[in-house]
Amino acid sequence: MAKVSFRNVWKKYGDIPAVKDLNIECQDGSFLSVLGPSGCGKSSTMRMVAGLEHITSGQILFDERPINDLAPKDRDVAMVFENYALYPHKSVYENMANPLKLRGQDAAVIKERVTAAAKLLEINHLLERRPQELSGGQKQRVAIGRAIVREPNLFLFDEPIAHLDAKLRAHMRGEIKHLQRTLGTTMIYVTHDQLEAMSMADMIAVMHDGELQQLGTPRQVYNHPVNAWVAGFVGEPAMNFVDVGVEDRAGRTHFTHQNFSVAVTEEQQRQISNGSRESVLRMGVRPDALSISMTKPSDSCITGKIFVTELLGGDMIVDVDLDDCRIRVKTSTEFSGEEGQTCYMTVNTNKWHAFSKENGKAFF
Amino acid sequence: MASREVIQYETPLSKAFRGFCAVFLAFYVVWTVLPLFIMFMSSFKDLLEAFKLPAVGDWAGVTVFFEFTPTTKHYYELFANLGFSTYLFNSLVAAGGSAVVSVILGSMCAYSLSRIDFKGKGDLFFWIISTRMAPVVAVMVPLYWIFRQLDLVGTLPGLILAYTTFNLPFAIWILKGFFDNVPYAIEEAQMVDGATRFQALRAILPLVAPGIGAFIVLCILFAWNDYLFAAIIGSGGAKTLPVATRELVQPQNIQWGQIMAAGVVTTLPMMFLGLVIRKYLVTGLTMGAVKE
Repeated sequence: MAKVSFRNVWKKYGDIPAVKDLNIECQDGSFLSVLGPSGCGKSSTMRMVAGLEHITSGQILFDERPINDLAPKDRDVAMVFENYALYPHKSVYENMANPLKLRGQDAAVIKERVTAAAKLLEINHLLERRPQELSGGQKQRVAIGRAIVREPNLFLFDEPIAHLDAKLRAHMRGEIKHLQRTLGTTMIYVTHDQLEAMSMADMIAVMHDGELQQLGTPRQVYNHPVNAWVAGFVGEPAMNFVDVGVEDRAGRTHFTHQNFSVAVTEEQQRQISNGSRESVLRMGVRPDALSISMTKPSDSCITGKIFVTELLGGDMIVDVDLDDCRIRVKTSTEFSGEEGQTCYMTVNTNKWHAFSKENGKAFF
Repeated sequence: MASREVIQYETPLSKAFRGFCAVFLAFYVVWTVLPLFIMFMSSFKDLLEAFKLPAVGDWAGVTVFFEFTPTTKHYYELFANLGFSTYLFNSLVAAGGSAVVSVILGSMCAYSLSRIDFKGKGDLFFWIISTRMAPVVAVMVPLYWIFRQLDLVGTLPGLILAYTTFNLPFAIWILKGFFDNVPYAIEEAQMVDGATRFQALRAILPLVAPGIGAFIVLCILFAWNDYLFAAIIGSGGAKTLPVATRELVQPQNIQWGQIMAAGVVTTLPMMFLGLVIRKYLVTGLTMGAVKE
């Protein structure tokens, strides 16, 4: 087990940078999720840790020991690939035994370890089969099994459950998290699915365009996104963004829009005035920080017209048209509004956000 | 999964076409099998019996064909007095040797071309296959001169080298396609598991086995049936079956019986090889490649 540190790591393909000046500390035994859309550099990051790609500049350290120039086999990491990369001509047992065999372990030890890992993953009845005879979920377990048979410094999981169906994915999220807690091995888990990162990781590193946007706990990333991009990427349904004017009314800053005018809290007022003098900001509010009703609750509410309602079993999502944009509100299934009707929304001002219109940085 | 059935509906035209196909195939079978059959039969006949033919149009006379006393004297003559066992050995070594050398060098080269990006890779690849574009005869004279300088004319290593020259580009061409079809992630997984690059290559060889199998057959066939190289480069010390057979045609007389027997000796091993390796050959050449 090891602590993993990235120090000013760059990856360039020719002149095109894929990872820009990355600095992350991943504590020993913790679960770090690298989150970002495709092409954000997260897979390059993981492959540099595994030794499958050279590090253009900077250093990656395991427990303060630079590993830049070590071959994959000498880094003692175990990796689960997105497409599983099982050896098609070998049985499940042989697949899982491979890393031990390559390290020259005794047959008895190999058997013991493989059997134990197979039991943990509940695949001990599949050991004689070939990968083609397995379902997606089973293949994925075998790939994990191959990673856990030895006790590596580090687990690298590269979108391991992206190809499973939704139900199995939800199940595997819990299993992988539990497995990491049980084994206590440091884990770097790459994913584009913010739900996976939120639900499993101790720390999330959000990446965009090769740059680290934010490193923090799932709560920090969700509740205090550092910029509009992170705010929009994390959370489902996504955060609503509305351009608002900033006006002082009776000593209190208000966010104004054709459809509403809402006062900020005292602390938020301070945070804005410390930050900038922009007259237009991006207001961000998550669908669950809005409450919707068909009767006007107060003057400081947002007025809109219902575009469509979507019932999601336990919740309902209402799409509401404002004059210049559309926002989504999460509400209970009792909501009875219908398409085309006028509705009123109240913002929970403790849970809203304001971002700079120029650079997207968060004020609060 | 959708049904793979090919839907066809009968029309008068398709029926007529099917009839035509049946007739064509019947002729085709006769056309291809009859010479082999005659060769096989004649190799067990005395010369006089072999030339007993029915008159044209005398269909009942076909039985003449089967009226003979089987004799193995031609085979005895080939192996006891004419040294065919040496020629058979030469053929086996030349064909097998060049196949083995081509597979080893070819798979390493194909692997590199498939996995590593370097400047001029496309040009290199084209140059490799372009060496097969000139007909063999065109390069025969310079090749002979080179081999002469290296003292390789009339030796088995010389013949193996000559066949390898022509088999290697082909090996690289075929095997590169097979390596391309093996996902690189499998090697990466091997390397993360603790393998060196070379161990990773060895680990994926079973996945290109159909390609290697198919190539070995084609390579052996090329060398086994070759006459030109064997006659010129191998002449003298490394005589192979086709050359030895050709020498049975002498100015004074043509040893028909022995020629037929030599034909059988030459054909049988290849037919046997074909049967053994048929499965590989089909999956190999259709590039049925690796499914994860």
